[in-house]
Amino acid sequence: MPTNVLTLSVLVFLPLVGALLVAATPSKAVGLQRGVALLATLAVAWIGVVLCLDFDGSTAVIQHAENVPWFTLPGGVDVRYRLGMDGISVLLVGLTAILGPIVVLSTWGHIHQRVKEFMIWLLVMQTGMLGVFLSLDLILFYVFWETSLVPLYFILGIWGGERRLYATIKFFLYTFAGSVVMLIAAIWLIWTTNTTDVMRLLDVAGALPVDTQLWLFAAFALAFAIKVPVMPFHTWLPDAHTEAPTSGSVILAGVLLKMGTYGLLRFGIAMFPGAALEAAPWMMALGVLGIVYGAFLAMAQTDVKRLIACSSVSHLGYVVLGLFALTEAGLRGSLLQMVNHGLSTGLLFLLIGMIYERRHTRALDQYGGIASVMPFFALFLVFAVLSSVGLPGLNGFVGEYLILLGTWQASPWLAAIAVTGVIFGAVYLLMATRKMLFGPVVHSENRALNDLNGREIGLMLPIVALCIWIGVQPNVFLDRADGSLQDVLSRLERARAARTASVEIVPVHRLEIEPR
Amino acid sequence: MSSGLAQLSQATLDATGPFLALAVGVLVLVLVEILPALKALRSTLFLATLAAAAWAATRTLFGPEISAFDGTYVANSTTSWWALLFVSSTLIAWVFGRRYYREEARLEGEHDILLLTAASGMVLMAGSRDLLVFFVGLETLSVPLYALSAFRRSRSESVEAGLKYFVLGAFAAAVYLMGAAFVYAGTGTITLDGMLARSDLLQGPLALTGVAMLVGAIFFKISVFPFHLWVPDVYQGAPSPVTTFMATGTKAAAFAFLLPLSFALPSQSAGFIAVIALLTMAVGNLGALVQTDMKRLLAYSGVAHAGTMLLAIAGMFEDPETGATSQAILFYMAAYTFTAGGAFGLVTMLESQTGLPVTIESLRGLSSKRPGVAAALALFMLSLGGIPATGGFLGKYLIFSVAVRGDMVLPAVIGVLLSVIALGYYLRIVIAMYMQTELEGRPVPTESRPVSAAMALACAGMVIVLGVLPGWFLDNVR
Repeated sequence: MPTNVLTLSVLVFLPLVGALLVAATPSKAVGLQRGVALLATLAVAWIGVVLCLDFDGSTAVIQHAENVPWFTLPGGVDVRYRLGMDGISVLLVGLTAILGPIVVLSTWGHIHQRVKEFMIWLLVMQTGMLGVFLSLDLILFYVFWETSLVPLYFILGIWGGERRLYATIKFFLYTFAGSVVMLIAAIWLIWTTNTTDVMRLLDVAGALPVDTQLWLFAAFALAFAIKVPVMPFHTWLPDAHTEAPTSGSVILAGVLLKMGTYGLLRFGIAMFPGAALEAAPWMMALGVLGIVYGAFLAMAQTDVKRLIACSSVSHLGYVVLGLFALTEAGLRGSLLQMVNHGLSTGLLFLLIGMIYERRHTRALDQYGGIASVMPFFALFLVFAVLSSVGLPGLNGFVGEYLILLGTWQASPWLAAIAVTGVIFGAVYLLMATRKMLFGPVVHSENRALNDLNGREIGLMLPIVALCIWIGVQPNVFLDRADGSLQDVLSRLERARAARTASVEIVPVHRLEIEPR
Repeated sequence: MSSGLAQLSQATLDATGPFLALAVGVLVLVLVEILPALKALRSTLFLATLAAAAWAATRTLFGPEISAFDGTYVANSTTSWWALLFVSSTLIAWVFGRRYYREEARLEGEHDILLLTAASGMVLMAGSRDLLVFFVGLETLSVPLYALSAFRRSRSESVEAGLKYFVLGAFAAAVYLMGAAFVYAGTGTITLDGMLARSDLLQGPLALTGVAMLVGAIFFKISVFPFHLWVPDVYQGAPSPVTTFMATGTKAAAFAFLLPLSFALPSQSAGFIAVIALLTMAVGNLGALVQTDMKRLLAYSGVAHAGTMLLAIAGMFEDPETGATSQAILFYMAAYTFTAGGAFGLVTMLESQTGLPVTIESLRGLSSKRPGVAAALALFMLSLGGIPATGGFLGKYLIFSVAVRGDMVLPAVIGVLLSVIALGYYLRIVIAMYMQTELEGRPVPTESRPVSAAMALACAGMVIVLGVLPGWFLDNVR
C-alpha cells in the first residue's frame, strides 16, 4: 500500500486544500463546487480507510506517527506537530472520513443558497475533526479542538432554521466556556510536566498525586462533558440539532459529539487514571441520569428532529456509563457505541432531512401513513430505528450489550437502571415511527410525496452496510482498538494498586456504588 | 549627568537609531510642507522614514544590550521589537487613513508629521530607563495625539474627544510627575537601575506612594480600570485612523515601560494587580457587550485586552521563568496590533466610504457584498476572541501561562471565563456580517480600495502567521 505518500497529514489537510479549491471556484458554479467538495471528501474517505486498514490493533503503539518541531514555549517546552493513530482514534477517524462524502451528497437536497461557503465550512470542519482525533500534542489538540467550533458556528448560523442565531451563540459560548477552563488546566499540566507530548503526558500525569489529578480531571472532563453532552450540560444540544441543517446535524451527531467522548477516554481516563477511579461513580451516575432523562425528554417531543436530538443525550449517556465502568467490556462497548451512534443517529437525521425537504414540517402529527406513500423511505427509517434501539444482529446491540455487561461488572444497580433506558428508547423511537409511517394517511399533503431518489438511497447504503457489518462481525472493528484499550486498562490497574497500597483500611471495591 | 557631543559615540547612535530616524523624518517632512514643489514626495518620505526606523531597529535586534546616556536609555532585543511594533502600528494607521479625511485633506501633511512625532515618542518611552526620559517620550507621544484626536476640527465629537483626552491626559501627566518627585524624594534617584539598587528605600512610604502614582499614570495610558473612562469617548470621537494608532501604539508603548517599572513594585502588590486586571477585563467586556457602535465596542474590547495583559504583570513576581512576561506581553501586543489595527482599519475604510459611523447594524449583509472585507473582519474578531490558529490565541496562551506559573490559577480561571463574555460580542459582529441580511436604506459600500485592502490582507496574514508559525517570533524574543 502506498502509505509513504498517504500520511496522516495528507488525511488531515486534504479537506482544507479542498476548501481552498472550492473557494477558488466562481461563485455561480454551484455544480463545480459540489463536485470539488465531493471529490475531496471521497479522496479523504479513501485515504482514511486505507490508513485505518493499515493499522495493527494488537498493540498500543502509535502508528503512522509524524513528529515535526513547531515552536518552543518559555521554559524550553518543545511544542511539536505530533500526529498519530492508535486504537482509541482509529475507528473514529474511519467514521469521520467515511461520513464526509455522505454529508456532501446529502447537501444536494437542502443547501441551495451560498453553496460555495457551505462546502468550504464543511471541508474545514472535517480538517478540524480529523485533527482532534489524530493530534498527539496537547497544544495541537487544543488548536484543532477549538478551531472546529468555528465551522459549525457558521453552518448553524447561516443555514439553520428559525431560531438559528440563538442556537448557534448558545452552542458556541457553551462549548467555548468549557474549553477555556481546560486551557488553564492544560497550561498548568504543561508547566508542571514540561512536555506537551500526549504519550509522555499519559505517563507523567498518571503519576501525579490523586488530589492534583482530580482538579485536572475536573477541568478536562468539564470541557468534554459539555461537548458530549453529559446530562446537566446538555441543553445546548437539542437547540443546536433542531436548528441545524440536515448535514450539520449529521456531522454534529456523527462526529462532533464523539470528540467529547473521545476526550473523556484519552484525556480523562487514560491521562488521569487515579482521578478517573475517584470520579467514576459520579460520572456513571451522570451517565445513567442522562440515559433516563434523555429518554423522557425524547418521549415528550412533538418535533421529530428534537426527539432524535434528545435520544442522542440518552444514547451518549450509555457511552459515558460504559467508559466510566472502567472495565474491559465497558470500554470496548463505549468505543464501538461511539461509532454506532454516529452511524445510526446520522442515518436518522439524514432521513428526517429528506422528508423535511419534501414536506417542510417536522411536527410528528403532520405525518401518518407515510409507509404507503414512500415505501423506500419507510424501509430505511425502520432500519435506522431498529439499529438505534439495538436490535440483535445490528450494530447498536453489540455496543449496548457490551456497555451493560461492563457496567454490571462494576455496579449491577446502575446497570439495572440503565437497562430501562433501552426499553424507553424502544418506546419513543418505535412510537414515533408508528406515528410517521403507519396508519391511514390523514393529511392530504402527504399523498403526493415522492419516494427517495437514487442519490438519497445511494448515500445511505454505505451506512446501512456498516451497521449490518458491525452487527454481524463486531470483532473486526473491536480488535483494532484492543491494544490501546489494554494499555488504558493497565494504567487503571496500576492506579488501582497504588490506591489500595496507600489506603490502610481495606477498601470497598472501587467500582461498587455503595447503596445509601 | 554629563552630556555633550562626546557622548554621541557609535553605540549611542545605534541605540537611538530608530528614534533619530523618526525625528529626522519629522524635520524633513516639516521642510517639505514649506516647499510646495516637494509635496508630491510626502508619502514617499513618510514611508522612507518608517523604513529607516525599522532598519535602525533591526540593527539592535539580535545584538547585546546597548546602554546610552548614563544608563537612562537602552536598546536591546526587546526594545527593538517594540520599535518594530510601533512602526507597524504607525504604518497601519497611516495606510488606512489615506482617503479618510475630506475637509481636512489639505492638512494631511500636518497629520503625517504629528503621527511620526507621536511614533518617535513611543520609541523613546520603550527604551527609557529613567523616569524623566520616559516623561519626555510620553509627552512627545501625547501632545501630538491630543492634536490628532481633535484633527477633524469641524466636527464637534472630534474636538470633544481631543479636549477630553487632553484634560485627562494632562492630569495623568501631572500625577506622573508628582510620583517621580516622590520617588526622588524617597530614594534620591530617578533611574530604574538606581531605584532597584535601593530597594530598601523603595519600600518607604514616600517612594511607595511615588511608584503607585507612576503606575497609576501609566494605567491611564493603557486604559486600565478605573482609569479607562476616557477610552470609549475618545476612541469614538477621534478620527478613525487616529483611533487605530491610539489603540495599538499607545498601549504598546506604555506597556513597554510598565514592564521594567513594575520591578520596582513590591511583590505583595501582585494580588492587587490581579484584582485590577480582572476588574478591567470585566468592565471592558461587559461594557462592550451593550455597544452598537463599532469604534466604541472595539474601545471597550481594548480595555479588556489591557486587563488581560496586566494579568501577566500580576503573575510576573512569582513566575520562575524570567523574561516570560515580557515575551508574553510583546507577543500579545504584536498580535493585538495587527488584529485590532486591521479591525479598526477596516472600520475606518467603511466609515470613510459611507461618511457614517460604522455600527453593528450597518455591517449586516457585508459578507455577500464585500466577501473579502467580511472575511478579514471575521478573522480579526476570532483572533480578538482568542480562537486558535490566530495570533490572539497564542498571545492569550502565553499571558495565562505566566499567570498560572505565577501562582495565579484562580485569577486565570476567572480571566478566561471573562473572555467567554468577549466572544459574545465578537460573534455578534460575525453574525451581522454573515447571518443577517442587509438593512433597507443602509446599503453596503461596494467600491473597492486596493491600498486599504492590501493592508488588511497584510494584517490578516500576520494574524495567521503569528498563530500558526510563531516560532520565528518566539525564539527571538526574550
